[in-house]
Amino acid sequence: MDLAWYALLGLFFASYLVLAGYDYGVGLLLARGGAPAGRRAALTALGPFFLGNEVWLVAAVGILFGAFPVLEGELLAGCYPAVAGALVGVVLVTAGVQLRSRPGDERVRARWDRVIVVGSALAALGWGVVLAALLQGVPRQADGHVAGVSHLATPFAATAGLTMVALVAVHGATFLTLRLPADAADAAGRAARRLVPVALCAVVVATVVGVLSSRVRDAVGRPAVAVLLPVLLVVALLAARAALARRRPGWALIATGAAMALPVALVGAALWPYVLVSTTDPGASLTVADAAASTPTLRLLGWVALPLLPALLGFQAMCWWVFRGRTDGRAPVYW
Amino acid sequence: MDTLLLARLQFATTTSIHFLFVVVTLGLVTLLVGMQTAWVLTGNAKWERLTRFWGQLYVINYVLGIATGIVMEFQFGLNWSGLSRYVGNVFGAPLAIETLVAFFLESTFLGMWIFGWHRLRKGVHLALLWGVALTAYASAFWIMVANSWLQHPVGYEVRDGIAHLTDFGALLTNPSLGMAFGHVVSAALLVGGMLMAAVSAWHLIRRTPDFALFRTSLRIGLVTAALAITMVQGFGFAQFGPVGEVQPTKFGQGPEAQAVIADWTTRFGPGDYTPPVLASVGLGFMILIGFTLGCVWLLLPLLYRDWIIRLRFPLWLILLAVPLPFIAVILGWIAREVGRQPWVAYGLLPTGQAVSPVGTPVMLASLIGFSLLLGTLAVTNWVLLARHAGRGAADPALGRPPAAPGEPAHPEPALA
Repeated sequence: MDLAWYALLGLFFASYLVLAGYDYGVGLLLARGGAPAGRRAALTALGPFFLGNEVWLVAAVGILFGAFPVLEGELLAGCYPAVAGALVGVVLVTAGVQLRSRPGDERVRARWDRVIVVGSALAALGWGVVLAALLQGVPRQADGHVAGVSHLATPFAATAGLTMVALVAVHGATFLTLRLPADAADAAGRAARRLVPVALCAVVVATVVGVLSSRVRDAVGRPAVAVLLPVLLVVALLAARAALARRRPGWALIATGAAMALPVALVGAALWPYVLVSTTDPGASLTVADAAASTPTLRLLGWVALPLLPALLGFQAMCWWVFRGRTDGRAPVYW
Repeated sequence: MDTLLLARLQFATTTSIHFLFVVVTLGLVTLLVGMQTAWVLTGNAKWERLTRFWGQLYVINYVLGIATGIVMEFQFGLNWSGLSRYVGNVFGAPLAIETLVAFFLESTFLGMWIFGWHRLRKGVHLALLWGVALTAYASAFWIMVANSWLQHPVGYEVRDGIAHLTDFGALLTNPSLGMAFGHVVSAALLVGGMLMAAVSAWHLIRRTPDFALFRTSLRIGLVTAALAITMVQGFGFAQFGPVGEVQPTKFGQGPEAQAVIADWTTRFGPGDYTPPVLASVGLGFMILIGFTLGCVWLLLPLLYRDWIIRLRFPLWLILLAVPLPFIAVILGWIAREVGRQPWVAYGLLPTGQAVSPVGTPVMLASLIGFSLLLGTLAVTNWVLLARHAGRGAADPALGRPPAAPGEPAHPEPALA
C-alpha cells in the first residue's frame, strides 16, 4: 500500500510539473516583452487551464501530508529556502496571471508581467533544487531532523535548478506553438526550437555534475536507473525538436511534457526504497515504508480518494476537451 | 527571538489574511449560485448582469484565497514539522481529503466557469458554479474537521509517542466541530451579504445609472445578512456548552480548568497552561460586534417602498458597518486559536514541541518575506476590488461576449 501511495504522490507531483510547467514557461517567455496584445494572447492561451493546473500541487502536498506525514515535515523544513522560494514563485504567478489584466493601464500590466516572469523563474528554480536535494541526500540526524539548510548550496542543486528553468521554457514555448492562432504559432515554434539546445546543454551539464558529485553517487541506490532516465530526457527533448520541425506541436508537447515528468520518476526510482537518504548517518535514512502513515490512515484515504480519482481526472479531461484547439477571435479573454 | 514565537506570528498572519478572503469567497459564491440559477430559470437579463458584476468581484477576491491557502498548506511542513511527525497520521487525513475532494475540483470548475461564458451550454455553465459552491462548502467542512481535531483530539491512540488513527467517525462527530462549522459558514454568509449590501448602497448613494440592479442586490444582501447574523449568534452561543466541556481552560478558570491543569502538570511537567488573555478579550469584542450587527433586522422594514433608499442615511449606515463583520471573524478566529494555547493539539502536543528545528534567521526571513508578500498582495487585491466595485456593472470583463469590440485597452481620445 505504501508503494501505491508513493506512486500516486509521484503521479500528482509529476502532473503538476507537466501542467503548471507550461504556465511557468509561458510566464518566463513574457520576459521577451513585445506588444501588449502578444503578451495577452499568450495568457489567453493558458486561459481555462491555468486554475486547473496548480491544483495538482495542492493535491500532491495534501497526499504528502496525509500519506507521508514524516516525509512532509522533514522534507519541507529540511529544504526550507528552496521550498519557500518555489512557494513565493507559485504565489507570484497565481496572483500575477489572475490580476494583471484587472487594471486597464498597459504600464501597470507590464509591471504585473514582470512579476509573473520572476515568479515563474523562482518556481521552476525552487522545484529543481528540491528534486536535486532529494537526489544528493540530506544531513538527516539520528533524531530524525535534517540539520541546517547549507546542504542545499551545491553545484548540482544549482545546475538542476537552472535545468528546470530551461525545461520549463521549452515546454511553455511548445505549448504556445500548439495553442496560439496559426499566424502567431510559427514564432513560438521557432523560439521553442531555439530553446531545445539550451535545455539539452543544461540536462547534460546537470547529469555530469551529478555523476561527479560524491554525495549523489552515495545517495543513489540504483545507478542504472539514474543514468537511463537522463538519457530518456535527452531523447524526449530531441523528439520534441524533431516534432516541432515537422510542425507536429501536439507530439512536441507530449515530448516536452515527458521531459518535465522524468525528473520526478528519476528521483523516485533512483533512491528506492529510500526517499530521504542521510549523508551523515546511514542509519538515519528514511525509507518510503517508514515515511508512510500507519495502515488505518492509508486505508481510510484509499476508501475516500480512490473512488474519486476517476472524477478528478474526468473533470480535468473535460476542461481540456471543451477548450481544445487553437485560440481564435472567439476565445474568451479574461487573464 | 525564539523560532516558536516567529512561527506562531507567521501562522497568525497567514491565517488571518487567508480568512479575510475565504469568508468573502464562501459568502459570495452562495449568492452567485442564487443569481445565476435565477437567470437560467427566468431568462431575465438582469440576473445575468448581476451574476457578471458580482462574479467579477468574487473571482478577484478568490485570487488571494488561493495564494494564501497554498502558503497555509506548506506552512505546516515548513514551520510545524513536529505536527506532522507526532499527529500527522490523524491530522493529515482530513487535510489530504480536503485537497483531493474539495479544492482540486473547486478550482478546476472555477477555471471552466470563468472561460465558459458564451461557450458552454447555459445548464452546464450553471452546473459548474454549483460545483464550485458545493466544493467550497466541502472545503470549509474538512478544514473545520482538521481544526476541530486540534481543539479536541479524538479517535486516536498513542503508540511509541506517535498518534495513530483508530476511529475516523469520531473526527466527524467531534463535539468541537458541528456548531463551529455552522458558525463559520453563517459568518461567511454574513460577510457576503454585508459586502453586497454595502457596495450596492454606495452606488445608490452616488445615484449611478444602474438603479434597478443595485436595488435588487441591496435587498438580497440585506436579507442574507439579517438571516445570517441570527444564525451566527445562534451557532456562536451554542458553542459555549460543548467547547467549555472539552476545553475547560478556554473560557474560564473554574474547578474543571484547575483539574485539567493539575492533570497536565503531572503528565507534562509544570508550566503555564492558561491561554493568553488576548483570546477572551477578542471574544468580548466579537460578541459586541455580533449584537451591533443584529440591528440589520431593524433596516428590513425600510425595504418597503424603498424607504431605505429614499431616506439615504440607512445606506450610509450599511456602508460604514462593512468593516465590522471582517473584524468580528478575525477576533472569533483568534479566540478559537489562541484559546487553545499552549497546545497545538489540545492536551496532546504542546505548541513548543511542534515547531520545526530550523534556525532563527531562516524563520525570521520567512516571516518577514511572506508577511510582506501576502500583505502587499492583499492590499493590492482590495484596491482592485474597490475599483471594480466602484466601476459599476456596465461592462465587467467577466462574461464579456467575445464578439464585442475589445475592452478599452487604449483609451485614445478621438479628437486630441
